[in-house]
Amino acid sequence: MGLVRRDHQPAEAKAAPPVETLLRQLDDPDPDCRREAALGLDGVAEAVPELLARVGPETASTVRDALLTTLAAHDTAEVAEALAVHLASDEADLRTAVAEALATMPGSMPAIVPRLLEDPDHDVRVMTAMVLADLAHPGSLTWLADMIRQDPHPNVVTAAVDALLPSLGPEHTELLRDAVRRFPDDPFLRFTVEAAVG
Amino acid sequence: MTSSTTAGLSAADFEKFREFFYKRTGIQFTESKRYFVDKRIETCIKQAGFPGFNAWFSALRLSDRSGLLQDLINQLTVNETYFLREDYQFDSLLKTVLPDVLAARGGAGRMTGPVKILSLPCSTGEEPYSIALRLLEEWDQIDHVDVEIHGADIDSTVLDKAAHASYGERSLQRVPMAWRAKYFAPVGAGRYQLDAGIRGAVTLHQVNVCDTTSMRSFRDFDVIFCRNVLIYFDELSSRRAAENLYGAMRPGGYLFLGHSESMSRISPIFTPSRLPEGIVYQRPSGGPR
Repeated sequence: MGLVRRDHQPAEAKAAPPVETLLRQLDDPDPDCRREAALGLDGVAEAVPELLARVGPETASTVRDALLTTLAAHDTAEVAEALAVHLASDEADLRTAVAEALATMPGSMPAIVPRLLEDPDHDVRVMTAMVLADLAHPGSLTWLADMIRQDPHPNVVTAAVDALLPSLGPEHTELLRDAVRRFPDDPFLRFTVEAAVG
Repeated sequence: MTSSTTAGLSAADFEKFREFFYKRTGIQFTESKRYFVDKRIETCIKQAGFPGFNAWFSALRLSDRSGLLQDLINQLTVNETYFLREDYQFDSLLKTVLPDVLAARGGAGRMTGPVKILSLPCSTGEEPYSIALRLLEEWDQIDHVDVEIHGADIDSTVLDKAAHASYGERSLQRVPMAWRAKYFAPVGAGRYQLDAGIRGAVTLHQVNVCDTTSMRSFRDFDVIFCRNVLIYFDELSSRRAAENLYGAMRPGGYLFLGHSESMSRISPIFTPSRLPEGIVYQRPSGGPR
């Protein structure tokens, strides 16, 4: 007993299975197998439709997160559009996971943000604020400010205020006070703003 | 560095380089790292004998001189460390994590296979060897349980140094004198080499934690130390690294990050646990959530 060394020398990297095998493994009953297949398909453009098709139905969150990690690396408008559909999902975990993935796609998200900001479903706009909170893009703060200034729903405005808080500067004080004046009957928004700007 | 090796990279060159390096390693340099990056690229260009950035960069991208890329990685990854660094986490390992691992795996004497610990990035070896020393000196189960320690790093140069395990005063500053006398032998010029038995007990590997294919050979670790490396990656690469670490662990396994790092902003796949000595992350033991 004690410290032991393995019998063999440093392991050689195991070769990735062929793409066809990985695509089949996306439907394996074992979630670990599906998860590894999803990660193994990183960079395989022809696998994107198969990966996208499994995001919604996938029940294991670890597998879904792996699907989203691989898909987010394909930072294209097609992938962003297909993922953004899930921002309207009734499943909170799915909505949140997709929002986190979209926030890692600074190349493609800017093209679809304007449409998301106009989405008739205010819950989608709330999730969009969540994406913008973490999106590494110079336009994020401007979009959040636009949401605070213009969005007609108080929950969306509050979500945008929340998202803006880490980057809050003196230039935002009047913007936030205006938001409170627009929704005088929303105590949570008032509380959020008062906590931020006093 | 459009014409010489001392003029610095142009903005366009830096962008090209940054994109290339990110795609190969997952490591992204911000504009604030320009000076750091420029100086190290200059060194690579000079050492490889190229007349300037363009010729070197073409060879880097297009030729099969894979040594160029490895030299670059070695220059651009920061490797300063020392023995027993942030050892409150080693306290957690001994007091809480290993007893829990043993209990979860049926207890000493009934376990199938050794307890497996991975240190990544291990740099010049101080972390995995520190783990070995603390286990040997302070863990009362070490005579009853097999422990396998692995170190891994992206940088081949530091791995060579880790294998040689010769250290100066700066690396050894926190090692108690009694341990130094017991486990290190002076080899001249103020340097001390670690005992061959401990060197031989740590298996070293070269790997990029963001590379799913190369990480596939790492499985069933009970404990992983991955401290102060995720901060180098952008969000997407951090997610991929987190996925690869998850895949390398047993269900219920423990992951230590650096004290300023948080998994909660990277990926939800791990469960945070608050131990007396700080936060540690666990791969959920009940199968996929």
